[in-house]
Amino acid sequence: MNDISTWDIARNLLDGALWTIGLSLTAFILGGLAGLVVLFARIAKSPLPRRLAQGYIEIFQGTPLLMQLFIIFFGGSLIGLEISPWIAAALGLTLFTSAYLGEIWRGCVEAVSKGQWEASASLAMTHVEQMRHVILPQALRIAIAPTVGFSVQVVKGTAVTSIIGFVELTKTGSMLANATYQPFLVFGLVALGYFALCYPLSAYSRILERKIHGSRAH
Amino acid sequence: MAYAFDFSSVLEYREALVDGTLKTLGLTAIGAVFGLAIGILGAVSRAWKLAPFDRIFAVYVELIRNTPFLVQLFFIFFGLPSLGVQINEWQAAILAMVINLGAYSTEIIRAGIEATPKGQIEAAQSLAMTRAQLFRHVVLPPALLKVWPSLCSQVVIVMLGSSVCSQIAAEELTFAANFIQSRNFRAFETYFVVTGMYFLLALAVRQVMIQAGQRLIARRAK
Amino acid sequence: MALVHIDALHKHFGSNHVLKGIDLDIEEGQVIALIGRSGSGKSTLLRTINGLESFDDGCIEVDGERIHPHETDLRALRQKVGMVFQQFNLFPHLTAGQNVMLATRVVKKMPEQEAIDLAKAMLLKVGLQDKFDSYPDQLSGGQQQRVAIARALAMQPRVLLCDEITSALDPELVNEVLAVVKNLAAEGITLIMVTHEMRFAREVGDKLVFMYQGRIHEAGDPQELFANPQTPELASFIGSIN
Repeated sequence: MNDISTWDIARNLLDGALWTIGLSLTAFILGGLAGLVVLFARIAKSPLPRRLAQGYIEIFQGTPLLMQLFIIFFGGSLIGLEISPWIAAALGLTLFTSAYLGEIWRGCVEAVSKGQWEASASLAMTHVEQMRHVILPQALRIAIAPTVGFSVQVVKGTAVTSIIGFVELTKTGSMLANATYQPFLVFGLVALGYFALCYPLSAYSRILERKIHGSRAH
Repeated sequence: MAYAFDFSSVLEYREALVDGTLKTLGLTAIGAVFGLAIGILGAVSRAWKLAPFDRIFAVYVELIRNTPFLVQLFFIFFGLPSLGVQINEWQAAILAMVINLGAYSTEIIRAGIEATPKGQIEAAQSLAMTRAQLFRHVVLPPALLKVWPSLCSQVVIVMLGSSVCSQIAAEELTFAANFIQSRNFRAFETYFVVTGMYFLLALAVRQVMIQAGQRLIARRAK
Repeated sequence: MALVHIDALHKHFGSNHVLKGIDLDIEEGQVIALIGRSGSGKSTLLRTINGLESFDDGCIEVDGERIHPHETDLRALRQKVGMVFQQFNLFPHLTAGQNVMLATRVVKKMPEQEAIDLAKAMLLKVGLQDKFDSYPDQLSGGQQQRVAIARALAMQPRVLLCDEITSALDPELVNEVLAVVKNLAAEGITLIMVTHEMRFAREVGDKLVFMYQGRIHEAGDPQELFANPQTPELASFIGSIN
């Protein structure tokens, strides 16, 4: 029954891991772009976009990622779109990422002290000019560490897409565990794969954070 | 061809929904209690560098925080039996929740402990308190109070994450949804309703925890 | 006609009536010292003059630029009114020179070389010509506050507002900042300053304004008021400070 060697297992898992990486990058990049939109809506001057963005964030942070994926997957076929697991996974994780990054970045913008707003206002700058030249450059600096930290959540989130049938690392692992009857080995290797992807990101985010706290402000 | 939404076909299964909700809440409650207990132990070991536990907890925290909950769950449920450890779906789900929350709360509580002002520790030491007394009366209550909002958020995150326990056939809320949609063939409506239920559960759990935290910890911290 | 004209100004913070009908005229070149206990409304009054605080009733006019209650477009006003803050509020990601240049470049669209020259001249004026490329956290508190003054001056305001600009400084750094302000006064710049430095107010001020419970309680020549306060409240305030 064991005609699949450990080497075969590892090779198949590596293939799966490539899809995990691809999905993570897609979701992180598209989610980051969409997250900027969420951010600017969330800190807009007029209340309507602020409310909408807040609702958007609360929905994605207040419901399971798995449910979000199910709704996209089944909602798509409802309006006549044949959505592949890949599209549903990428779309779901992008929306999920945009909500979290929008909220993280809002926190960074708000961490810039009130005095910076007042000083730039007293120099007759417009809201856009204040943002562009004074607030965002400082917020960006604060944002790097938590953004890298959140990328770990994105990578881990991709595992949930295995449930809607997207074949990435976890799904590959499940199939191999069934075929080889070696779940301990297979899921151990799967966990190791995620760890190899996530740990460097976690560690890097911690280093960045320490750098910011320990250094000067420019 | 316009699609006619039919939510009533979901509500016909309200018994399954209520049952799933209770099990999700039970899973969360057990995970929270034991997870926070591990978190306190881990945080003390880490903050006070109690060898060899500080190292063990450091490795544990990194392993858990850098792997997906679903994989931890599969590893426990499918992997452990192959080592001869018999485990059913509920035991696996509970174990995974406790282990997962334990790692996150270790880090959260540690941050709270490390933020204790040095003067308070020195003041307590000058009153000849033992290390245990110091921890129990001076360090822990304000530390927990400070990080309680983060702990509440983490419990909510873990509760929402528990929806993947349906994959090992633990019959919680998402399992109920899967069951219902396989019967009524109304996948969208079913998941829509259940998503709404999770949303309300998240709000409720957070509220209850914040209230409870203020009652329990705040009183002692004063 | 007065450079700054404040007429029947009222402001509430919720149910708290913090400015209860302020009338004040400030002539070009005057140095006004606003004094009073905390909560008397002096900082709030100062901050309404460049629109950092809105007001509920009355009007403010600066050099012909009139603002009404709840005005939102304050750009024209703010080009005429500079402000220096208690906490300096320098932009930490920019050098001293860039701090001074930013608004002239962005708001006034000044060509780069002209803005650099102006920034250098302004830093020279506050005695920091050699700090053009230093970042704020490489400067002492007194130096940071002097850069903040240069930054405000670079916009060539008609009035400069100073909100307790020495309160956050270590005692030994207060004088270098006050010396800069004194020079500005001698050059004829119109200054309105909220201050706790009573000696400075007496020496440099042209007019002393004592605020008490949201009103101007007493105003006039500083020498005279200090020597001979007309109200028991000012007498007790002066007594408590010295």
